[in-house]
Amino acid sequence: MAYPTFAKPETLNRRSFLLGTAATAAATMTLPGAAFAQAKGQLLLWLPGGSDLFCKVQTGMLTDWTAKHKELASAETVCGLGQDTAFNQALIGAITGGNPPDMSLLWDAPVSLGTQGAFLALDDMMAKSIINIDTWPGGLLASCQFKGKTYGLPVTAGIYSMWYNAEMFEAKGIKSDRASFPKTWVEMRALSKEFTVWDGDTLKVAGFMPHREAESLAIWSALNGGKLYDSANYKYTFDSEENIEMFNFFVDWMNEEYKGDINLVDRSGSFASGYANGTTGQPAAFRESRLAGLHSGSWLMGDIYDPAPNFTRWDLAPHPVGPSGSATVSGVWPNWFVIPANSLNPQAAFDYLTYLSTEGAVTWFENVPDIPTNSLVKLAPPKILVDHRGEEFAKETTAFYSEQAKIVTPMWDSPVQGFGNDQLKLAIEKIYTKAATPKDALAEAQVASQAELDRVLAG
Amino acid sequence: MVAELPSSAGDPRGPRRKRAGRSEARAGVLFALPWMTALVVFTFIPLVLTFVIAQAKFQIAGPPKWIGWGNYEAMWKDSAIWASVRVTATYALVSVPIKLVLALGLAMFLNRATALSGFYRTIFYLPFLMPAVAGSIVFMLLLTPGAGPVNLILGAFGLDPPDWLKDPHVALWTLIMLSLWPLGVETLVFLGGLQNIPKEISEAADLDSPRAWHKLVWITLPMITPVILFNMVIGIISSFQVFTQALVIGGTTGAPAESTLMYMVVLYRAAFRYFNVGYAAAMATVLFVTVLLLTLLIFRTAKSWVYYEGEGR
Repeated sequence: MAYPTFAKPETLNRRSFLLGTAATAAATMTLPGAAFAQAKGQLLLWLPGGSDLFCKVQTGMLTDWTAKHKELASAETVCGLGQDTAFNQALIGAITGGNPPDMSLLWDAPVSLGTQGAFLALDDMMAKSIINIDTWPGGLLASCQFKGKTYGLPVTAGIYSMWYNAEMFEAKGIKSDRASFPKTWVEMRALSKEFTVWDGDTLKVAGFMPHREAESLAIWSALNGGKLYDSANYKYTFDSEENIEMFNFFVDWMNEEYKGDINLVDRSGSFASGYANGTTGQPAAFRESRLAGLHSGSWLMGDIYDPAPNFTRWDLAPHPVGPSGSATVSGVWPNWFVIPANSLNPQAAFDYLTYLSTEGAVTWFENVPDIPTNSLVKLAPPKILVDHRGEEFAKETTAFYSEQAKIVTPMWDSPVQGFGNDQLKLAIEKIYTKAATPKDALAEAQVASQAELDRVLAG
Repeated sequence: MVAELPSSAGDPRGPRRKRAGRSEARAGVLFALPWMTALVVFTFIPLVLTFVIAQAKFQIAGPPKWIGWGNYEAMWKDSAIWASVRVTATYALVSVPIKLVLALGLAMFLNRATALSGFYRTIFYLPFLMPAVAGSIVFMLLLTPGAGPVNLILGAFGLDPPDWLKDPHVALWTLIMLSLWPLGVETLVFLGGLQNIPKEISEAADLDSPRAWHKLVWITLPMITPVILFNMVIGIISSFQVFTQALVIGGTTGAPAESTLMYMVVLYRAAFRYFNVGYAAAMATVLFVTVLLLTLLIFRTAKSWVYYEGEGR
């Protein structure tokens, strides 16, 4: 007779549990590395963000270019890793981890991280390429250079200018042609008053707003004959007489026209830029014809139609000049590209950037109107503008921005750009909320920024 | 009478027991090993490295350079450090006592046995489960000037509400208000303390004096002093480390005008915005030492005001 036998049930003993745990942990720790690993022959591009259209255009250009280069197996574009701190963090993390992208767009000064060894110096590759040093506007390339080394390429730039609602001007019987636009801050301030309407503590309509954005403040400083940073001598000049005068002018203007209360203005709507307020959702006053004019960049030519404004005819003008200034200037928002240290495909990355700086920049501009900066580029007007305003206006606007690109003031050129901008932001807040006088706030920002610069330069 | 412990001497099963004991100990160590490894790798080594890196100029991308006390000297001269110390100290001094009082009040309310006690406990604990970022954003929306519900309600009563998050004189108080919202943990700890008060003492106190505040001052508070000590120490430590809410509301500059600039935000931006890791490590070291000293000081004073049952006084 055979007795039935029972197999011992499979139980989880301590040994198998610990082994299993260790194996799972090891697999988990290696997986992300494998998933995001950079590979030879695969071009990897990182972008901090941008609109869906921007990401789509960038992805498409890289894919098309890679398809024509058989030595490259594939390409990948990672879009939207986050602006400023988050993006730089991710990039530095990837570089120090030995697994960086082959190239990256940077909305910051390349010298900040370049001087720390985070990016490759591109001078040798540039010398052998069609995009050699002579093909770049000196002022723009300077913002990528430090102590004779070039850490990035100023592929395209958003160019700043004045924007105005021609229909609002005409409704007030004010000439709306570019030539009649105010040439000085005093004229602009006088014109602004014509538009500004308060209803109690609510600002219904405004003319122009005194400037308060740190990133583009260098333009306004230059318009008043000053500068924020002297790159030749590695000196910050936040608290120069011209800059103090500039903020005194803005504060006077704020007091006279905007009840001296920046928070009242902000409560009333999004008057600070051409975009809706990201936190409160207040729509852009400019698009609603509640703001007659503003200081903004060339990218708005595309973005202004999403959502579309309630008027058709906007126009552009050069920046007016401050009381101590002598000539108008423009400035840039950088779309600078870098090749991180430890890139596995540096030459292929540089070749792509060569394409992007020339042919690619045209495609870029046609879809997203950031201005190509390399002199080899022949510009066609942006499609979106042609569709909305016609060929002639689009051509004329493109020509205007090309001219503005020639008078760009040096900016984005400090090795501690982010730190300096933060200090300026703080100073601007203190000035406009009356927590400090312009003189004191700028002096404080000056001391902090110079100390940080000296620390970094000390090596 | 003292019970004799069983001896294994002469027991033929002794060596086997010893082997079994060693095997159990090995298993115990093996089970604890992942945790111990994590403690060493993720706590002890970073702690020691922090002390070392604090002596160096280290920008992440390049090699560290030894500068001795340089980072500490730079801290001394950094106006942002002093601004953040001022803001953090104010935050701690104001928020911790208010938090303790409110949590105790809530716990006393919950301690009253009612049919809805369980429901209230859950409700009061819920905010603690919400991520700090989400909570901060909800508060920002509630306090939005103009269209925010809080200002609309205050406006309806004829009040002129402030710019909660944009006025430099008000923003820190808003942040403190936000810190008072998730009181769940403190309340539960207090509740545990209240429920541990022996019933006979509580009943005797009721007989001695009909006044509730007499019982509160002379019985309840002394009996829960260990819990007050615990909540106070944890509260002070966490108030020095407040970060998420401050970053969401004030960004890395402590907007408006540094009024919400917490020490941890300055530390974070030094490390991850300016990549000045050595400086951030020095800041972390100073914070560590400060909180340690403060905690030791509180424990030292605790001998005079904390009552432990069964301990001679």
